[in-house]
Amino acid sequence: MRRAATLVLAAAVVAAPWLVAVVVPRQQRYLLHVLIFTALFATLALSYDLVVGHVGSLSLAHPAFFGVGAYAAAILATRAHWPFLADLLAAALAAAVVAALVGVPLFRLTEHAFAVGTLGLALVAGIVANNWVEVTRGPLCITGIPKPVLGLPGGPMVAITTLPGYYWLALAALVAVALLYRRLTTFRLGRAFHAVRDNEPLAGAAGIDPLRYRMLAFTIGAALAGVGALYVHYLSVMCPEEMTVALTVNLLVIVFLGGVGSLRGVLLGAVLFTALPEVLRLAPTWRLVIYGALLLLVVVRSPEGIESLLRRVSGARAGR
Amino acid sequence: MALLEVRGLVKHFLGVTAVDRVDLVVEPGELVSLIGPNGSGKTTLFNCITGYLAADDGRALFRGRDLTKAAPHRVARLGVARTFQQVSVFPRLSVLDNLLVFLQQHQEEHLLARLLRTRRVRRLEAEAVARARRMLDLVGLTARADAAAGSLSYGQRKLLAFAGALMPDPDLLLLDEPAAAVNPTMINQMKEHILGLHRQGKTVLLVEHNMDVVMDISQRVVVLDHGQKIAEGSPEAIRRDPRVIEAYFGR
Repeated sequence: MRRAATLVLAAAVVAAPWLVAVVVPRQQRYLLHVLIFTALFATLALSYDLVVGHVGSLSLAHPAFFGVGAYAAAILATRAHWPFLADLLAAALAAAVVAALVGVPLFRLTEHAFAVGTLGLALVAGIVANNWVEVTRGPLCITGIPKPVLGLPGGPMVAITTLPGYYWLALAALVAVALLYRRLTTFRLGRAFHAVRDNEPLAGAAGIDPLRYRMLAFTIGAALAGVGALYVHYLSVMCPEEMTVALTVNLLVIVFLGGVGSLRGVLLGAVLFTALPEVLRLAPTWRLVIYGALLLLVVVRSPEGIESLLRRVSGARAGR
Repeated sequence: MALLEVRGLVKHFLGVTAVDRVDLVVEPGELVSLIGPNGSGKTTLFNCITGYLAADDGRALFRGRDLTKAAPHRVARLGVARTFQQVSVFPRLSVLDNLLVFLQQHQEEHLLARLLRTRRVRRLEAEAVARARRMLDLVGLTARADAAAGSLSYGQRKLLAFAGALMPDPDLLLLDEPAAAVNPTMINQMKEHILGLHRQGKTVLLVEHNMDVVMDISQRVVVLDHGQKIAEGSPEAIRRDPRVIEAYFGR
C-alpha cells in the first residue's frame, strides 16, 4: 500500500511536465519554472541540512559556497568555454576548497560565534562578488551563460534547451544528491555525525574526532552547493544579488520548518516553501502577511517542522 | 610497567590550584578508587588524563605514552574509556546506536569504505551489533534497544553510558561517580558490574562519593583534598587515617 503510493508519487514527479501540459496548458511555462526552482532549492537545502541538521552547526555561510560554485561555472562557461559537466565539477570543487580552507578556523568558534563567523564569510563573499569587477563583472552580472550540453567529448551530445529538459536535469541532480545525502546520514557515518551533534564531549570519549566529522559535512555540503552551477546555466545569468542573506533565510525556512535532519522533511519543506509563495500570488496584497502568518503557525504548532507533525498524525492513525 | 602513571600533575583555574602536583600509579588489573570532598580535584584529574583539559604541568602516561597532549578521541582510541559524572548519552540516537558509536571508531575503517559500505565494513558492523546486544543484555536494557536514549530514566541512562564505555573492550576504565544519584538496587547492580570487570582482569579507576561502595570493592584508595593527594592505602587504613577524617569532617 505504502510502496504503491510511493511509486505513484515518483511516477507523477517524473511525469510532471506532461501532467502540467495536460492539466493547465496555459500556465505550463510558469508552473514548470516553479518546479525547476523547487528541485534546485530542494538540492541546495539538502546540502545545507548536512551541516545544520546532521552535525548541528548553524552555518550561515551557504550563500558563499553557492556563489563560489555559481561564479566558477559562469566564468568557466562564458570565458573559457568549458563544457557543462566540466564546469559543474569545477564549481563543486571550488566550493569545497573554499569550505576546507575556512572550515578549520571557523570550527574553532562554538555555537553562536560560529554562526556569526559564517555569516561574516557570506557577507564578505557578497562584497567580493559586487566589487571584484574584473572577475565577476560586479553588479553588471555575468550574462550569456550557455545552455547546458550533456555528453562526453567524442560521444553524442544532448543540449538541454526546453523547460521539461531543465526540469529533468534538475530532478536528476536532486535524486543524485538525495541518494548521497542518505548514504552520508545513515549507518556508521550518520551515527558519527549525529554523535557529534548530540553530545560533542561524549563523542570524543567514543573515539570520534568531532572536527573531522564537522569538516566532512561542511566540505561535502559546500561541494553540493555547487549546484549553483545548474542554477546559473538555467537562468543564463549570475548576479551578486543571488548570494545574499535572503538565500540563507530561504534555506533556514525550508530546513527548519520542513524537518531538520530529515530527508523527507527537507524535501517537504522545499516543496511547500517554494510553491507556497507562488500560490499566494493569488492574493498579492496580503501575500507576505499570509506567508509570515503561516510560518509562525508552523513554528508554534510544530516546532520540529512539518515532517514531525505528519509523523505524529500517521502514528496516531496507526493506533499508537 | 604501570598501566597508568600520573606524575606531578598540576592544573590551575583562575588562580585556584585544582590539581596540585598529584602522583598516581595504577597497575594492570587493579581496582583503585579516588575519593575526596567536593571540589578536591577528582574530576579535574580525570579530565586532564583523558584529554578534556590541558594540564599546566606534569604528565599522565598510559603504557608509557604521554596522554597530556592528546585530544580526547586519541586517548579513547589508545584504550582508555571514561564515563561522565553528569549522565551522558546521545539523546537522539537509539539505545543500540549509542553503543555502536563506541565501537565503530575503534574499528578504524577508511572513510570511503564507510561511505561505500564495503563487505568488510558490513561485517564489522555485524560484529559490533552482536557485541552491543550482549552489552544490552548485561545491563538489562535489551527491551529498550530501539528507543531513543533520551527517553530512558536517569538510572537507565547511567547503565547505558557504562555499557558504552565497555563497548571497545578498553584496557583502562575511568568511572566518574557511577553510583551517584541512583537508587539502592541500582547501586548494588553497579557494584556487581564493577566487580565483574575486576574479576575479568580489567583495570578500573573509580571516582565515587558513596563510601560503602568505595570501601566494599576497592583494592586501594587514593584521597585528594584541595587538589593534593593526602593519603593512599587499603580501604581499612584509609578509614582510620586521621588526615582523611579531618578532610571529610573538619577538625
